[in-house]
Amino acid sequence: MTYQSRAQWQLRLILLPSAALLLALVIWPALYAVWLSFTNAALVGPGAANPRFVGLRNYARLVGDGDFWNSLMVTGLFVLGSAIIGQFVLGLVSAVLLNRPLRFRAVFNAIILLPNAVPEVVAGFLWISMLAGGERGVLSRIVMGLGLQPQDWLNTFPLTMIIVVNTWRGIATAMILLTAGLSSVPKEVHEAAVMDGAKPGQIFRMITLPLILPTIFLYMLISTVSTISIFGFVYALTRGGPGGATEILGIYLYNQSFTAYQLGYGAAVAVVSLVFSLIVGVIYVRALKVEV
Amino acid sequence: MFKKPLLAAVSLIALTALAAQAETIRIAEHRQARIDALKAVAPAIEAKLGVTIEVIEYPAPEKDYMSKLLTELGAGNAPDVFTVPGDSDVPDLATAGYVAPVTEAFAAWEGAAHTFDVAKSLATGADGVMYAVPTMLSVQQIYFRRDVLEKAGISTDQPKDWADLMARAKEIKDKTGQYALLFPMGASWGGGAFGEGFQYMLAGTDTPQLVAAGGKLDLSSTGVKDVLTFYADLVNADLMPVDPLLGPEPWVIPKYEMFPAGQLVATTCGTWCYIYDWGPESKNPIPDVTKAVGTWEVPGKAGGNGHVMVSLNSPWLVNANASPLATQVALELGSVAADVAYASRLGNIPARRDAGDDAEFQKLTALVPVLKAVENGTYLQASAGFSAVSEGVARATEAILRKETDGAGAQKILVDYVTDVLGPDAVQ
Amino acid sequence: MAKRPQLMAYATLSLISAYCALPFFWAALASFDGNASLFLKWPEDWTTANYTRIFTVENGLTWFMNSLIVVGAATVLTMVLGGLGGYALSRSNAWWKRPFLYTILLIRVVPPPALIVPLYKVLLTANRAVQEVLRAVLPPDMLRPAMRVFGLVDGYLGMILILTALQLPLALWILKTFFDTVSRDYDEAALLDGASLMQRIRLVLLPLALPGLAAAGLFAFISAWGDFLMPLIFISSPELQMLPLGLFRAFLRVNTVDWGFLTALAVLYMVPSVVAFGFARGFLVRTFGGGVKG
Repeated sequence: MTYQSRAQWQLRLILLPSAALLLALVIWPALYAVWLSFTNAALVGPGAANPRFVGLRNYARLVGDGDFWNSLMVTGLFVLGSAIIGQFVLGLVSAVLLNRPLRFRAVFNAIILLPNAVPEVVAGFLWISMLAGGERGVLSRIVMGLGLQPQDWLNTFPLTMIIVVNTWRGIATAMILLTAGLSSVPKEVHEAAVMDGAKPGQIFRMITLPLILPTIFLYMLISTVSTISIFGFVYALTRGGPGGATEILGIYLYNQSFTAYQLGYGAAVAVVSLVFSLIVGVIYVRALKVEV
Repeated sequence: MFKKPLLAAVSLIALTALAAQAETIRIAEHRQARIDALKAVAPAIEAKLGVTIEVIEYPAPEKDYMSKLLTELGAGNAPDVFTVPGDSDVPDLATAGYVAPVTEAFAAWEGAAHTFDVAKSLATGADGVMYAVPTMLSVQQIYFRRDVLEKAGISTDQPKDWADLMARAKEIKDKTGQYALLFPMGASWGGGAFGEGFQYMLAGTDTPQLVAAGGKLDLSSTGVKDVLTFYADLVNADLMPVDPLLGPEPWVIPKYEMFPAGQLVATTCGTWCYIYDWGPESKNPIPDVTKAVGTWEVPGKAGGNGHVMVSLNSPWLVNANASPLATQVALELGSVAADVAYASRLGNIPARRDAGDDAEFQKLTALVPVLKAVENGTYLQASAGFSAVSEGVARATEAILRKETDGAGAQKILVDYVTDVLGPDAVQ
Repeated sequence: MAKRPQLMAYATLSLISAYCALPFFWAALASFDGNASLFLKWPEDWTTANYTRIFTVENGLTWFMNSLIVVGAATVLTMVLGGLGGYALSRSNAWWKRPFLYTILLIRVVPPPALIVPLYKVLLTANRAVQEVLRAVLPPDMLRPAMRVFGLVDGYLGMILILTALQLPLALWILKTFFDTVSRDYDEAALLDGASLMQRIRLVLLPLALPGLAAAGLFAFISAWGDFLMPLIFISSPELQMLPLGLFRAFLRVNTVDWGFLTALAVLYMVPSVVAFGFARGFLVRTFGGGVKG
């Protein structure tokens, strides 16, 4: 055995614990969920005592279930609004601005990172207060200062509000990744452009942006994937309401499995959402050429 | 000569060993008031039965409690004794095979003779098997602010029928400008839409039960449609606060804030409201609550006798895998002392007549007359599939709250949902 | 006039910072308010009673320690496994490398509620095996305490493994991309010198990998620290109760929400992850700065 092939074997050996743990606690349960999706398994009733194989019945029901399509659409808008637009734009702005020699850089940096460290449930509670209805809620007082009417935010603009909250949570991640991307743009290129008399906007569009594009796509892939599976803070904030307006997939699935007790149907939702995100993932990898 | 002391010593050791190995019974309980009540009575049960009781605190919100409990039951790892929110949850847990029958143990128990018949009926399934120990009852009707009505010069008489109730609600709104009448509705109230409202009204219709002759669920009845239409009228006339019901913890604002402040004048509730929601155990009590707040029976649709609604409140269930001692513990949780401990902290009504003789219970003056009248209560017989019905009612009433549909449309949502979940065979 | 863009920059950053910081004001003020409410207001009744209650009336210290033990152990385990695995994935040229990486990334889209019931069954089966083993080797009265530690359901070990498994995919990704930027020359050289795998890891890779490990550890810590669904379902014993559950139980445990207590607990709950951020922040840009192909 050559030392190279022995080294390759050793590599597999040290990957083994990770692979085994993921297999046992993530992949196996996920496969089990796939099996459940073909049964009438439930948490109560006869489906709990003797789950039966029901073929594609759960999937057939899914296709005709308006609530599921609503949830899929809400999730799409949620990902688009928070991960792809909100977090990205504010994260990019923060990264670009903090890349300049400004005073109080460290302070701004620390404040923007702060929400990222907030546990999901706490994020929910904090924003219950910010978005409280009536004239005494914080956001209402702010808009009243601008001469607008106070609102019952979580009832009137529920989806927008959970997008606002998730954007708040995620600016930091975008900023970290994009700062890193910016720091890999060679200074010389930038300086050469300034010499040539290019305006800052032009430099950003023509030079910086193309150079950090791979970082942007990698960020998009990771943030899209992790936003689809969000559950905790929306559960604490709205539990999917009012009337399904914030019922993102994680919440819809939880409601199917633990409120309606339909495990099999809930599992079918999980499988279909996995397929959808697989498509999204393939689009990112193929069309946008995210490299690994 | 040494034999006797030796024997005594040996048996003493044996006894100590036995005591050390006293069986542990694990009881699931949640919410501070309930845990306090359980901890108050546990030592007496431990002493009486020679067991060790371990109280496991579960998450307070009802939905999270059930999620955790059912996950454990499904995996076969749940505590020995636990509660479910109401009798309508029992049949579905029984058909899942989670629950041990208690029929014989109950019959042999000293409390059986004292237990109200209505409680026994509620705890017994269509197959004649008893799967729950009935210990506490919810006795529910309509609670109204007598002080507010009198001040506004509105009649406090018992409404004769639904039309009268609706007219009264409109009069309240016109004269006081406040929300008139609340029935729990919507998805986030959990079982409340069904258990704390829908079933009251259904009992006053031509079709008071939901189970048809063949054991199938009959949700297409005129009664169901009438109730949902009444609900839609209530919402569409803006007689009911809608916004708080669409958010999480929908009861907090209307019941704990608006009602005490007089911004909501009447609501469905149970006796617990006199103790827990607005009474001595409340953080926002209404002064002199039994005077300020009066009760109406729920009128029938077309008049006739009004009724109060009786159902099991958090009945105790025994895990199918638990030892027989667990059943004994569950029965002891129905002793007069245990019932009174729970009643004084939560304001529910004991399921047994002789609790009325208890000195401690007699101090709960708001509950005493209700206990006497329990036998006159109406009840809805639960059956398998009621979990789905309850969730279906929640979804149907959610659509009404959002003013997306009328009574007939809401009924269709209910029927479609239950048919989807249980299959077409289970629904008529 | 270079002043105007500067001013714009400050204005923009101030707005974003206000957005980020505002919710914390409410929590900080309400937690010291004897009469706290849902609304932001200056406390009239300053008090530390909300904080002291967490530790005197409630089992705040137990919740805190349990969270630290479980999440701390899960973080360390994630760093160890992620470091080894990330290195292997970076250096391996096996055909399954890419499928493996994509699988573990995409599996993250499955919302955790979908995995709970299957996960519970897997862990309960394993838990019974652990119980049998412990029963065989330990005296009976030691069984219960031992299960608290080694139990997979309602035990430290189970919670640690679940949280590790959930954080591992991202850690593997971060560290794999990080190792990609560390030149192979170092390990080639060590390999030629006849260093064993362990020596190579300890002497060559560990010092080089520190920024990557810190970043991966930070993300794992913050995410695991904030998880509440898994502790909700998998922990029952009061001795093992963790912070998020304390928080969730405090909410609606009685019929009104005690905002003072809730915010005090929330503030305490935020402290460790904020501190972790403070420690690891310096490593972040270095990690991703090298890790992203420019």
